[in-house]
Amino acid sequence: MSMVYHAMKKTLFVLAYAVVALTIFSIGETSKNDQLSIALSGQYAKKMTDASEKLDELNNAVKKTLLFKESDGSSKAREDIWRLSSDIKNSVSSLPLDQSFSTSWLNYLGRLGNFAKEADRNNDIENYYKVMTQASKNLDLMSEEWEVATAGMVSGRLSMSDWSDRLDGTKSQHDWSGMGTAVKKYTESDFPLTASESDSMKKKELQQMEDGKVTKKQAVERFKKIFPTVSNEIIGVESSKPGSPYPFFHIRFSERNSIGYIDITEKGGHILSYLEERPFSNEVLPFDILKEKAESFLKSADYQDLVFEESRENNTAWHMVFVRVEPRYKAKVFSDTIHLKIAKDTGSIIGLDASEYIRKEKTDEQAIVKKDWQSFFHEGVKITKEELAYVEDDRLNQRLAHYLIVTKEEHGVIGTYAVIVDTETLEVIKTERLQ
Amino acid sequence: MKKLLLKVFVAFFLIGSSYNLTTNEINAFSSQQIARGANGDDVIELQARLQYIGYYTGTIDGKFGYGTYWALRNFQEKYGLPVDGIAGSKTKIKLGNVSKYDEKFVKDNINKGNRFTHYGGKPLASQVKKGAGKKDSAQLPSKYSEQDLTLIANAVYGEARGEPYEGQVAVAAVILNRIEHADFPDSVGGVIFQPGAFTAVSDGQIWLRPNERAKEAVLDAINGWDPSENAIYYFNPITATSKWIWSRPQIKKIGLHIFCS
Repeated sequence: MSMVYHAMKKTLFVLAYAVVALTIFSIGETSKNDQLSIALSGQYAKKMTDASEKLDELNNAVKKTLLFKESDGSSKAREDIWRLSSDIKNSVSSLPLDQSFSTSWLNYLGRLGNFAKEADRNNDIENYYKVMTQASKNLDLMSEEWEVATAGMVSGRLSMSDWSDRLDGTKSQHDWSGMGTAVKKYTESDFPLTASESDSMKKKELQQMEDGKVTKKQAVERFKKIFPTVSNEIIGVESSKPGSPYPFFHIRFSERNSIGYIDITEKGGHILSYLEERPFSNEVLPFDILKEKAESFLKSADYQDLVFEESRENNTAWHMVFVRVEPRYKAKVFSDTIHLKIAKDTGSIIGLDASEYIRKEKTDEQAIVKKDWQSFFHEGVKITKEELAYVEDDRLNQRLAHYLIVTKEEHGVIGTYAVIVDTETLEVIKTERLQ
Repeated sequence: MKKLLLKVFVAFFLIGSSYNLTTNEINAFSSQQIARGANGDDVIELQARLQYIGYYTGTIDGKFGYGTYWALRNFQEKYGLPVDGIAGSKTKIKLGNVSKYDEKFVKDNINKGNRFTHYGGKPLASQVKKGAGKKDSAQLPSKYSEQDLTLIANAVYGEARGEPYEGQVAVAAVILNRIEHADFPDSVGGVIFQPGAFTAVSDGQIWLRPNERAKEAVLDAINGWDPSENAIYYFNPITATSKWIWSRPQIKKIGLHIFCS
């Protein structure tokens, strides 16, 4: 009897101890969660305040630029537009806003900032005045909507669930989605796509491709011809979904240890991309043999106008980049590339991406102005390589450029840069520090 | 008889010297040529040896970039070797003869993530400082950093670790597509941590340690592969709660995910 009594006493003690420990733990966790929730709520309040204040400043900056006929008068305010739109983008993208509103708003702000920045270059005062007058009117409307939508949200006393409910498109009293639609309309009316943006979009969506349609069977034949060793066991061929901007066949395979896919366009049967996954052995073939195998693969697959550009070694494979060379100037076209992934153990091609290559860029004739590089660069800058290349500028135009690799000693280390200079305007399109 | 003995002696000498040459080469480096873009132990040794004799002052990280390239060319020029920036057999032998390589010291410090140098003639202890910890060693295109690789791999593992490889590359590609798209933030961190953008961020699974497969998938996406075909959204139709996501134009289904524009 006394033994049973002792056992019960022990059990009760252990149970009581466990309950106390769990209660302390739970109180600790709740307090920790509360602290985190308060901290995050404070962060959201700060971002919301920033966005609201800067939206007012942005609106003022836009209005200020409309005072001046001469570009110089508004240059400071235009700089402000670019900076403020970028700041608001940062704040807005850190808030848990309704997705349709957030994406439209980020897009509008980006285009507004870019338009102000671009005005420095094109100096079209009349067009600037017309566009920004409309943008200013729309920003007024947006500011009012934003004020109503976010009223009372910067008190710092909202819980996390309150924040979510207020900003969520489905739970909020506010019509965030309607606001998103309105901003999308403002974007389309104030900053429509430029001709080169529209061309770029068409290219991306393969609209300019005039090749005839291939059937599912022809697409599979193309796969078998190019990758004969993995294409005997096809486990599925599907057409792309109706929302795809360009139709393609998605072919999946699983042969021996290899498993992967290939996407082939319906127009012309061109390979978009191919990837294969398989186990690798420890053997490593020399790089020059792998490069030869890559080049001979490209020839046999009828990619004839490419030159080797660069390569990167990683655990099991090398990634190699080949670039198209256009015939007029023998210039590389950096937007028309083919990426290959080559297994280090056997040299087999385990990846191919030709999606950029099949969207061939139109390369126009362009004047080549000579430049005295000695006066262009500081002393100590050495040009180690110079060639011609077509490169996309930030207005999405393909420009013929002097593509220079230069070095400069930087405190005992040699820094290497690619400097890309427009052959006609001598404008620096891009300067990139190379690793 | 004398002639025969002489021939045997010469033959032994030649075999012996060629054996020595091969042994030295194996001790020094693997038999591979080492060129720009290479990554791994051979490059670590190349950088360490070039640094030992003062030609290379950069980080010993096993990645053959431009810093290593110019250092190697300078070395080749100084020693009358063909100047091509490629470490072939002649260059490797010469480098082996004029430098020393303390493999243990170098690799220990790389593994500890220390900042260190490997200059000859200086006490090793004075060449080490505490660093930021061990990093992934991957050769990436210039516009991406190792931090980008790690963060995207975390997101891919948290979001799609049960998906086929193609699906994991596609998720990484969606993140990269968003960076280029005007509707989204323009940095890896901005895109991944945009509130509500990824479930793995909301439920904390982004902080699981990614496996090698997820990292490989990110490397493929960073190197240009996009199995999503330019998608900027994806969702799992079984678990998706947002009505809005169903309004997006659908491109393709991979595993459990539908990819949309």
